[in-house]
Order: sequence, then structure tokens, then C-alpha cells
Amino acid sequence: MSEQSDASTATGIQEPAVPQLAVPELVPVAEFLEQSLPFNQLGKAELYAVVDKIRVQYHCRGELFNRETPEKGLRIVRSGAVEIRDSDNKLLDRLGEGESFHIGGLNAEQGEVQATVIEDALLYLLPDEAYQGLRERDRNFDRYFTSQRSRRLRRAARYQPEPNTMMQEVRTVMSTDLLTVKPTDTVQHAAQVMAARRVSSAFVVEEGRLAGIMTDRDLRVRFVALALPPATPVGDIMTPNPETIDASQSIFATTLLMTRRGYHHLPVMLDGELKGIVTTSDLILAKQDDPVYLVQHISRQHDVEGIKGLVAGMPNLMVQWVNAGMRAEQVSQILTAISDAVTVRLIQIAEQRLGPAPVSWCWVGFGSQARAEQLLGADQDNGIIIDNGVQPEHLPWFQSLAEMVCDGLNACGYVYCPGEIMAKTEEWRQTLSAWQQKVRRWVTTPTPDAAMRVSIFFDLRSIHGTSSLCQQLQQTMLETSSSNSIFLAALAANALDTRPPLGIFRRFVLDRDGEQRDVLDLKKRGVLPITEMVRLRALANRISAVNTHERLRALAQGKHMTIVDSRNLVDALHFIQHQRIKHQCGQIVRGEKVTNHINPKDLPKMAKEQLRDAFTIIDDAQSAVRQTFRAGMG
Amino acid sequence: MMWKLRLRRLLFKKRVEGTALQQCWQAPLPATGADWRQVSFLVVDAEMSSLDVNEGELLSVGWVVVERGAIVLESARHHLVRAENSVGQSAAIHSLRDCELTDAEPGEQVLQYFLEAATGRVLVFHNAALDMAFLNRVSRQAFNAPVLLPVVDTLLQEEALLRRREQVIKPGDLRLHACRERYGLPPYQGHNALLDALATAELLLALACHRSRGKHFLLGQLL
Repeated sequence: MSEQSDASTATGIQEPAVPQLAVPELVPVAEFLEQSLPFNQLGKAELYAVVDKIRVQYHCRGELFNRETPEKGLRIVRSGAVEIRDSDNKLLDRLGEGESFHIGGLNAEQGEVQATVIEDALLYLLPDEAYQGLRERDRNFDRYFTSQRSRRLRRAARYQPEPNTMMQEVRTVMSTDLLTVKPTDTVQHAAQVMAARRVSSAFVVEEGRLAGIMTDRDLRVRFVALALPPATPVGDIMTPNPETIDASQSIFATTLLMTRRGYHHLPVMLDGELKGIVTTSDLILAKQDDPVYLVQHISRQHDVEGIKGLVAGMPNLMVQWVNAGMRAEQVSQILTAISDAVTVRLIQIAEQRLGPAPVSWCWVGFGSQARAEQLLGADQDNGIIIDNGVQPEHLPWFQSLAEMVCDGLNACGYVYCPGEIMAKTEEWRQTLSAWQQKVRRWVTTPTPDAAMRVSIFFDLRSIHGTSSLCQQLQQTMLETSSSNSIFLAALAANALDTRPPLGIFRRFVLDRDGEQRDVLDLKKRGVLPITEMVRLRALANRISAVNTHERLRALAQGKHMTIVDSRNLVDALHFIQHQRIKHQCGQIVRGEKVTNHINPKDLPKMAKEQLRDAFTIIDDAQSAVRQTFRAGMG
Repeated sequence: MMWKLRLRRLLFKKRVEGTALQQCWQAPLPATGADWRQVSFLVVDAEMSSLDVNEGELLSVGWVVVERGAIVLESARHHLVRAENSVGQSAAIHSLRDCELTDAEPGEQVLQYFLEAATGRVLVFHNAALDMAFLNRVSRQAFNAPVLLPVVDTLLQEEALLRRREQVIKPGDLRLHACRERYGLPPYQGHNALLDALATAELLLALACHRSRGKHFLLGQLL
């Protein structure tokens, strides 16, 4: 085919030759392939050139394919179904119409893999010669097959464009031209070098370790103002053990940290080593239409109305971020940062009205806010932990504060929690010891129903106030639950309650929404099963991280989970969240109510496959949870 | 079966001398004791302007080879047969227009292609009697002799199967679509001789697979 079109351009014919099948009556076969992955990515000419290489075969249920199968090639399921299992008989995949497998390739990749026909199947066999030829000629086609499906999903989750500068890693804007001095150097010497290099800060390094930082401000405040002698050693006036940030953190996170703490310089570390420095001016250069400013503006409002006005613009901002290529986890981090800022500001406004707190206390967020995984339309889940020294006469202060903040949140769109899990409810506004008692009772006398109701409390994060109160409560949770296998089994039952919406042959199983449309609830079917399983594993292994991604990373690091399983779940979560966010953006643009309900039919073919992959990963993870936590419990 | 065929061919031996038909007959006949996977089949479907061989004429023929238990798409062919009369009413059914048919090749030429493809193979039809009647008519006109090749009829195979299972055969149960459905084969768009031939070939694979079930399934059992 390509030779023909080359010839026609050479003779100056304008129109490229329309690709033709050798036997035009076979067009339905070509059409079937055109709708199957990854043949849909091939040009017509490439596709048509292989159609007549196909051999059609029929296989009865129970027939096997393995490395001994004589005919090598790609098998495309035209009808029927095929299961693929590894040597441990673990189900790797279930293929239906339009899906394909190459038993030789699978064997090369994962060892002894066997495919079994589980429903009488008509297969199109593309012999190896034609198949390898396509892979050599077409990069996309080849890429599809270079690895198994989990890697395909990983690409989808990871390789998204990142044009939003606020979400770039801080290392992209840091300066690496570092000026270092020793603590024993004189201040005068250091100031001279800084002046020569035209920099406003110098690192103080001792035996290869970052001992401190000396900035213009240190020179002003701790040296000039005190009229110290020029020979004063740098070590005397530097800011020792400065806070640092990891090079992989986003510019957004860096900016937030620096503005909150009032830093102008922040050392950047990579693998524990000093790599660079960011200054406020670096960040200003990086600034575009960014969410930091929304957060900053929120903290300058003086009433609920002002905050509400700012938050109202959030949906449109989210559409912009997503259009600019921001990834799901970043969107939810930012949305969480915004709801944190709203909460904190509402608390500050309330404190201005009520006067200072009578004893130390902590405002905690539960659930998705705690995990930094909020999306639009999240309701509020929060509570208050009060120092044990509280007196009865202090309690009205907390009640008034809780009411003002919860009402304010509701007015700003973080609606009241339908289950009343709010600081406004007296039950969730308790002293630390009352909370600890409650947790012990939940853990020691679990019922499946209770496990479902209380699991949300086990994701908690201090939003404002004395964070050690929150940490102590979390410590209690980890200590009591990790050692209680009955409680963990109850949590596991809860995590296994929702099955991924895949029926046999990996078809989507749909629910009916309120308007009787067939829908798939991405939150209920996808996000919740993952967060619940990961929470369970984190509690069982005493991992204090709360964010699902961080929990998974810690689980892999602690070898409680394989790196592959941990990554697969991260990818599945991010992919589902991404679909959820994209869907919500579409709804915002069309002026519709934001939901989590999608119909897989509306997804592009590739996304549909990836969604299937994601659910397959959830299904596998649930099997593992069942084995670990519910062995012998059915 | 094969000896009958040899006997009947003897009757026409003189008449076909030097023709394409004689060439075709020179290939050895397949052994009825051979496993179906060792046999080469030519699955054929023809379209005609009427179901009555005395009224209608052949409009198109499509075929595809089944070899080593698999359909070889490379062998697929579709030939339009030049109309001797106007297509008339069935044009709507077969979506063939007169102008297309006048571009087509003469029946004898198409028969020649067909005999080349059929050499050394067993013919397969769904309802062989009808298609063979038309092919034999063209053959008689050309060579003064019928085609006389071994024939498998998937419709008769299915009918026998249903009778063995003592099932009541309802009208329509033996149509190609209905037979395919019983084997879980996907629906297809019919009414093009090649696609019908392909659909019949898939049915042949399905029924042979089901009846062999890991054991041998011999050509003789299909004839």
C-alpha cells in the first residue's frame, strides 16, 4: 500500500490513493478491527494490508493456549471470551469481543501464562509475521503491546502534560548556583563573597551537612543592628537548621509554605542532599493564574460573604486548571488546600468574635479533607479535640465556635454532613480522652455496621490549633486497631462491600441514577473501595500517613505491599479521579449539577479500556484483602 | 460417497476432455477417513435472481478456503456474474444493480475461476442443493456436464443433529443465522455472496469443533 502512494506522489498526483481492500466485500472484517484496540490507531492503508493475512478459528470452551500452541500470532476475540491466568492460576485478565492477546508475548513477559477459552470463541489470528510487521511500522500500535495492561494504565496516569507552572516541581525554578561558607568564616568575609556574587543568601555547610543559612536579613538583624565586630564567625548569626523543602514538591506547595511562614529563602533538598535554593522572587517569576492567590485572598476576608464570593469562582478555576493539564491528585490537593484555608479563616473570624480559646484545642478534618483528596461538592466532615483540662464553663465557647464555623462552611458550599459528623454535633466535640475512649470502644467491639460508620474517623488531620492533640488521637487509633484482627476484619468486610462494576467478560455493570439512566458511580465504585482498602492496610501496619498516595508509598517502603501492587493502585486511583474531574468539568461548562455519575458509553475507547483496567486492579486488590484479613471468614 | 462420485464422473469422461472441468477432476479426491483438519474445503455461496433454477440466473459467487481448521481470508474471492436477463425484483434483496452486473464477467469465466479454486477441495454450502443447481446449470452449458465434486451441506448437518437430539425443528431453525446463533457465533450482515460464504465457513468450524471435541472428526462424517 505505501509503495503505491509513494508512486502516486512521485508522478505528481495530488489526491492520495484511497486505501482499498484486496477483496472489498471483506470490509466488515476491517470495520470490526477498526473498532478494536489498538487497530483503531492504525491508518486505513496499514490496516487493510493485514486484513487478508488473518486466519479465522473457532475454539470450544476449555481449549487452551500456552507456549506450546503451534500457531504464533495475535489472537483477537471476535466473539466469545477468554481468560488469562499465570502459573499460580491467578486471573490476569478476562477478554471479550474486540480484545486481543499474544500468548507468546505474555509468556516472554510474565513466565508461564495460559489462556483458556471460557465461552466458545471465534478468534481472528493475525500471524506473527504480519503482527510483528505492524509493530515495526507503527509506533502507537507497538507501544500498546510493549507491556501488560497495568503499564498501559500507568502511562495514562503519569504521562499527562503539565503546562501549569504552579504544579511544576520546585527544582525547575530553584537556583543551583550555591554560595557556601563555613560556620567559622567571618561574617565580613561571607558578606564580601555574597556582594561579589550578587546573592542575598549563603549556605553554611559543616562537614558536608547543611548547618544553617545566612541571609541579608540575618546580616541586618543579628549583625549590623547589634554592632558586632567584623570578625564574628558566621555560625553566631546564621539561622541554624533551616526548614527545607524536597525538590519534588510543587511550586504551589513551596509558595504556600514560604508565605505561611514568612520565609524569603528556602533550601531545596534531593535525597537528603542540598541541591539549590528558592527565593520569593523565583516564585513570583513562576506565578501565573494560580490557586495560591485564591488561598491568600481567602485569608484576607473578614466575613463569610467575602469568602463565599471567592469560593464561588472555584468551579471555573478548576476547569481552567484541568484544561491546562493539571493532574487529578494536584487538583484535589489544591481543592483541599482551599477548603483548609476557608476553614482556618472561618475559625479566625469566630475567634475574633468569641475571644481566645479557654484551653488548647484542635480542629480536625476527617475523610477526604484529611486525605487531601477533596473534589468539588464535598460535604464537611470535621470535629474538635479539646484539651483534657477543659472545665464545664468553657464548653459554650467551643459550641459557639463550632456552630459559626460549620454554618459558615455550609454557606460557602461545603454542605452539612448528612451523617452529622461535624464539630457542631456535640458527640464530635470532645476532650482528647473522651475521643480516645470512643476509639477504643469502636475497635474492641466492632460490628460491620459500626465499622462502616466509624471508618471515616480513621482518616484525620489537624486543620487548625494544637496539632499534637490530633497526633495523640491518631496514635491511639493506630495502636488499638493494628493489634485487633477482629476490628480489621470488620473494616475489610466494609472495604469489600462494593465490588468493581465489572461483570463477567469485563463488561461494565451499571446502576440506575435518580433519573433512571444507566450510570457508573465513579466515587462509590472506584474511589471509595481503593481508599478503604488502603486505609485498612495503613491501620494494620501502623502507618500514620493519611493521604492515600502517601499511605501506598509507605506500605511499599515498609514491604507490606509489593511496589507493583502499590503503584497499580495509585495509578488506578489517579485515573479514576481524573475521569471524575474531567466529567465534572464537562458538567460545569454545560451548567449542569456536578455528579460522580458517568456512562462508560460516553468515554473514548481508550479511556474505557483504561477504566476497565483500573477496575481490574481494584478487583485484584480486593482479592488480596480478602485473603489477608478475612481468611476463613467467608 | 467418493466411489459414487467417481462412477458418475465416468459417465461424463468423454464429454469433458480438454476442459477446465477435467483438469479439476484430475486432482485426487480426499479420503473420507481423513480428519477434518487435514481436509481443504472451499466454502461457497451464490446469489441468484430467483430460487427456481428454471427462472432465475446466477448473479454472484463468493468463496473462501478452510484449511487446517482455519478460514484463510487471503483466499476470499467475490465474482459478479454477467446478467443475461434483467435482475428484476430481487435486486432489492441482493442490492445488486443491473449496471453492476453488466460490468461482471460471463458465467463460464466465473465457473472457470471457481473450478480452479475448487481443485482438490471439498465444497461446502449452507443448503447445497440450491447453489449446486445453479452452478451445475452453468457447468452443463459450458462443459455438458455437472460439477461433480464432493459436497458438505451445513444445513443438512444441522438438520441431522437436531433430529438426533429429537428436537422439534421449527421453520427458520435451519437458516444460517439461526444455526450460527446456536454456536454463539456473532451476527453478521448478510446478502453478499462472500460474506455469506464466510458466515457458512465459520459455522463449519463451529460444528466441526463441537463434534470433534478433542477426538478425531472425519470427513466421512460430514458428507
